[in-house]
Amino acid sequence: MKEGSADKKKTLTAADGSAIIHNVVKLKCLTEEARGKVAEDRVMQILLLDFYGELLTEKQRACCELHFNEDLSLAEIAEQVGVSRQGVWDNIRRAETTLEQIEEKTGLIRRFSETQRALEELDALAGKLLSLPLGEEAALLAKEMRREIRGMRG
Amino acid sequence: MVKIRLRRMGAKKAPYYRVVVADSRSPRDGRFIEELGVYDPMAEGSKLNLDVERVKYWISQGAQPTDTVRGLLKKIEA
Repeated sequence: MKEGSADKKKTLTAADGSAIIHNVVKLKCLTEEARGKVAEDRVMQILLLDFYGELLTEKQRACCELHFNEDLSLAEIAEQVGVSRQGVWDNIRRAETTLEQIEEKTGLIRRFSETQRALEELDALAGKLLSLPLGEEAALLAKEMRREIRGMRG
Repeated sequence: MVKIRLRRMGAKKAPYYRVVVADSRSPRDGRFIEELGVYDPMAEGSKLNLDVERVKYWISQGAQPTDTVRGLLKKIEA
């Protein structure tokens, strides 16, 4: 792999330079709001895929996993899976719609997130409780409580 | 082409990412040239630890960040 980077050093051309400039320009075009949204969307997409991925068709899941877990571009996925770039995009769009509909109906992710938040809160409360002067038995109970809570946290 | 991309680590329902430099021809076999940092989207306000100097170095060498990584980079700069 080191050879690859040495190669790059030698063959840095004007085209590379313009690519860098192009990147910078592209960066500037993204508004603050859009970037925040991209990151937020990404988390939701990953969770959707983790929760309901098995419900997708093989192809849809493969495309989504490559895109969201390996961060491959549509073109790279197209090459690997052997369909057109447009086909990959269609697969991902369709998968997203399906997953969103499932979440709308079952609400598993919403409930999971709520539970995790509540457990976090409980963990903090248990910690506070343990920092108080407690009798031996009360301290044991509090520790037991915290262990249970931590066991449930993801 | 050399790319700067995210690689997913972490468990189901608890994703976190490494930011790595990798050859675009071997995206899936786990080989990467260098690890540049980690990105935890689940942490409060999402946490990003990145070796900015190395990122700049790799970009100057012609490495292309993916759109997602590009978004993250901009976040640090801001």
